Amino acid sequence: MRGILFAFLGGAFITLQGVANARISQGIGTWQAAALTQFTGFVAALIVMLILRDFKRQGFKKVKPLYLSAGAYAAVIIFSNVTAIQHIGVTLTVALVIIAQLALTFLMDHYGWFGLQKKRMGLPQFFGIAMMIAGVVILKF
Amino acid sequence: MISGLLLALLAGSLVSLQNIFNNKVNIHVGSWTTTTLVLGLGFAASFTLGLVFEGSAMFALHHLKLWFCFSGLIGVGVVTCMVQGINRLGPTFAVSISMCAQLGFALLFDSMGWLGLEKVDFTFKQLIGVLVVVCGIIVFKVGGREKRTANEQGLVG
Repeated sequence: MRGILFAFLGGAFITLQGVANARISQGIGTWQAAALTQFTGFVAALIVMLILRDFKRQGFKKVKPLYLSAGAYAAVIIFSNVTAIQHIGVTLTVALVIIAQLALTFLMDHYGWFGLQKKRMGLPQFFGIAMMIAGVVILKF
Repeated sequence: MISGLLLALLAGSLVSLQNIFNNKVNIHVGSWTTTTLVLGLGFAASFTLGLVFEGSAMFALHHLKLWFCFSGLIGVGVVTCMVQGINRLGPTFAVSISMCAQLGFALLFDSMGWLGLEKVDFTFKQLIGVLVVVCGIIVFKVGGREKRTANEQGLVG
């Protein structure tokens, strides 16, 4: 039960984050908003990390640089997300972000890219993506 | 409008790549070290791109409000909730619930026009659209996949 509450709140925070970023962008600009909010998050996460002593330096050597660099994508993610919210609204943006996310994860799983364990595509997944796209079409037209 | 659609799809694609790569980092260095690294790099990249595209305008924060500076803490809430949710429910159910909640709150924000958003009037059509997307997410996530063959299970990953 608490798991459901956490996951639900997590989703609420993700949407709130997008909307707050869009509002901050109106005030100070999109790149500024992305830099400012991530700086605050970085400082907070750093403090939590130091308090919990959750730091394993040796682990870094075992991870490929490509994987370590993923954080940098957030600049483009926030810029795109904010611009999309301003152009097409929150609901449509969130729906499309989710569809792209699931579809690409699905492809990566299917082909076993980036060393992922291969999982064959199933009919329910095709059907699920088709339904999501149908939902977006209903939302928009 | 088309550019809005394409940008949303781009954001979603990058999110899925980021999730997979961050997961690999997470296994070796732990979740808070990963979060710190990810947000630190995100800041560095945003700041650099901002300087490239806007130059010194990057520092012109005329309409800065105090709460802007604390908004980044929402990200810490996201990580905490998702890590707890996934630990208790497993990734499939936790992520499904989170995605449905994201859509529900998105509709709420659009309908209310909170935080200076352009208000999109709530219509029955929108509710149906969101419910169809939610059903799609559930079918996608909960619907079984074909079992991996013994060969693949043994050799891959």
